[in-house]
Amino acid sequence: MCAATATFQGSEATIMNNVAPTPRAGAATAAPLIAFHGVSHVFGTRPVLQDINLTIGKSEFVCMVGPSGCGKTTMLRMVGGLQAPAAGEVTFAGKRVTGPAQEISFMFQDYSKALLPWRTAAGNVSLALEANGVPAAQRAERIKDLLGKVGLAGHAEHFPAQLSGGMQQRVQIARCLAQEPSVLLMDEPFGALDAMTRQALQDEILRIIQASRTTVVFVTHDLEEAIYLGDRVVALYPNPGRIAQVFEVDLPKPRNQLTTRESPAFLRLRRALFDFIREGEA
Amino acid sequence: MKLLKALILPVLLLVVWEVAMRVSGIESDSLAMPSQIAVAFYEALRDGTILRRTAETLRAALTGLAIGGGSALIVSIVFGLIPAAARLAQFSVEVLRPVPAVALIPVAILTLGFGYAMEVSLVAFATFWPVLIYGQSAIVNIEPQLLDVSRVLRLSTLGRVTKVVLPATLPRYFVAFRLATAVSLIVAVTVEIAANPLGIGYELMTASQSLHPDLMFALVLWIGIVGWVLNGALLLAQRRLFGPAAMVELAR
Amino acid sequence: MNATARILWIAGSVAVTALLILGWQLIADYGGIAPVFLPGPNRAWAALVSGFDGGELTQLTGATVERMIYGWVLASIAGIVIGALIGTSRLAREYVAPMLEIVRPVPVSAFMPVVMAFLGLTSTMVLVVIAIGSIWPVLLATVHGVSSVEPRLVEVGQSLRLNRFKTMWKITLPNAQADILAGMRIGLTVALILAVIGEMLTSENGLGWYVLQAARAYHSADLFAGVIVLGVIGLVSNLALQEIERYVLRWKRR
Repeated sequence: MCAATATFQGSEATIMNNVAPTPRAGAATAAPLIAFHGVSHVFGTRPVLQDINLTIGKSEFVCMVGPSGCGKTTMLRMVGGLQAPAAGEVTFAGKRVTGPAQEISFMFQDYSKALLPWRTAAGNVSLALEANGVPAAQRAERIKDLLGKVGLAGHAEHFPAQLSGGMQQRVQIARCLAQEPSVLLMDEPFGALDAMTRQALQDEILRIIQASRTTVVFVTHDLEEAIYLGDRVVALYPNPGRIAQVFEVDLPKPRNQLTTRESPAFLRLRRALFDFIREGEA
Repeated sequence: MKLLKALILPVLLLVVWEVAMRVSGIESDSLAMPSQIAVAFYEALRDGTILRRTAETLRAALTGLAIGGGSALIVSIVFGLIPAAARLAQFSVEVLRPVPAVALIPVAILTLGFGYAMEVSLVAFATFWPVLIYGQSAIVNIEPQLLDVSRVLRLSTLGRVTKVVLPATLPRYFVAFRLATAVSLIVAVTVEIAANPLGIGYELMTASQSLHPDLMFALVLWIGIVGWVLNGALLLAQRRLFGPAAMVELAR
Repeated sequence: MNATARILWIAGSVAVTALLILGWQLIADYGGIAPVFLPGPNRAWAALVSGFDGGELTQLTGATVERMIYGWVLASIAGIVIGALIGTSRLAREYVAPMLEIVRPVPVSAFMPVVMAFLGLTSTMVLVVIAIGSIWPVLLATVHGVSSVEPRLVEVGQSLRLNRFKTMWKITLPNAQADILAGMRIGLTVALILAVIGEMLTSENGLGWYVLQAARAYHSADLFAGVIVLGVIGLVSNLALQEIERYVLRWKRR
């Protein structure tokens, strides 16, 4: 968004080595939309998150990476109001998150479980409209729009079992958009998809949120995906989960599966992240 | 703890039932206090009525099961080995299976009169179908390689059945017979209640008609216990004999 | 297997049934069994036709089917509501559900003498017994279906801020639909069985009473006609529910 003006050659990936994350200079707004204040969490007796401080600005695309057990999904669930932190607090627009909110939409990884199998693609999108109290008369129109937006115009009457994994995940995207959220939380949404489908959906998501200026928090274990999509990449250490480092991604937009991924800045950033993660594992 | 939680409600209900009847002092021909039921149960158990009647019911139920389930076992193997036979019989099976066994009670009375023979034949009819259906699906689900092996070894038909088909399908047949056992008890008791002057069902009917609610409730309780023990014993045997593999089949 | 072959096989299996009926006819005619005990299919058919022509069988069939459907619908509604309440409440699952499991193995017909002691030999008694008997499969299936809902779907509901009722209506109950329908199918079979026995015991108007009367009077042709009608009711109701299941659960097909 902000880097859109930078020329390709001139863009640099800045690597910040300080652990304390700060909102990116030039982020859309000064006031943070989402903030973690000293958040810690335990599962039973096992600590999963330790003193997390992080702010995310409006219209930012933040990716969270880290090995399993680093608590990245737990952080996402806290923003989504699906889980309360044991200590500290998570705020949204300055207010403490106590439960799911209409402005915050959650996209689950396991699409086969997160769609209602007995409802068609249209019916699944409709669920979010019903939840928001959209009058029945207006739903059909909205559903048609939303399915068109994710490229499923011809599949409205198909049941999830009749759709491929990528298509099912598109239905979930449409359902999230139906909520008209200002924040989209995505938990490894493309992890189970094949490479081609995954790339197509990455571009789709970028296209869609660029128009609506939605804030996105995106959990993944794919480093390249994180760099390709994000404005910032938050890397976490496991056991217990801590923020290890925050990488600024100053790649030009719109991004391109070929040129972006081949650009020296991308490769440099990938190298840095990769080394960093390997160090963490060693 | 789990057991305790499970027991709270039934015990509470019994206490409330007992107290309510004692306090209100109702004299009823259709309702008895739990304590009276317990006494009646003990009496009937001591003088041997319950056990004798239960033996009659079980004799009819298990004989019927042996005949009905046994013939279904043979028929399902024949159908399994000769698919053409299964296909040709399909329509007849589909037409006969939904006939409620109780609708045949008058037919059995007419042709066989009252007594064991009619009850046994009705149980046999009712237990034939579940064993046939389960058995057929058991045979269809045999690992095809096993049948290939038996062909390669050039086993005779008899050899194939006894050395491959039966061992491979035994767990499923056991499940089928366990379910059919429940059916046999249900049908036997039902026939006794509806018509046949025999067994525990008839005793229950008599208790109801002669206005002995204490004995009536005791007998309902007893029938439940019999069904429960029978099923529990077979479940245990199934677990012992075939392990968890057989339990999975049940979920279907 | 292609369509022609399938039709041929079906035709073949119908032909086998026809042969069986022919065999029945031959046994009745030449088997040395007195016609009082075994009518041939021709006589059974004649009794069937004249029964429906005279309207008697029509009326009896109506009475039995009505009883069966009434009791079954009552049981299904009650079973789904109670089952949903028990299935969604952890408290009820821990305290109430085990009791249901204890009562389950009691053959439902054993409840008939009990209800009879309260309500006498009346049609209300039959209806109550049908309802009590056919509620079990529906109730237990609903409890199972409702409590085995995919946790992820519950989270989807949470994240969309569905309230308790909407979650139940839009997620939990639809999730149990396969179980509920299977339970209802068994419930309908039970309802027919209990309707027949109830009519036999109470002499209430219906096919159960009719077949028993026919047997007592040695009217074997009428008896067989009645049994055939009962078989057809069982067959048709089962097929109808299977068809409904196929339609409602079409989302399971790929």
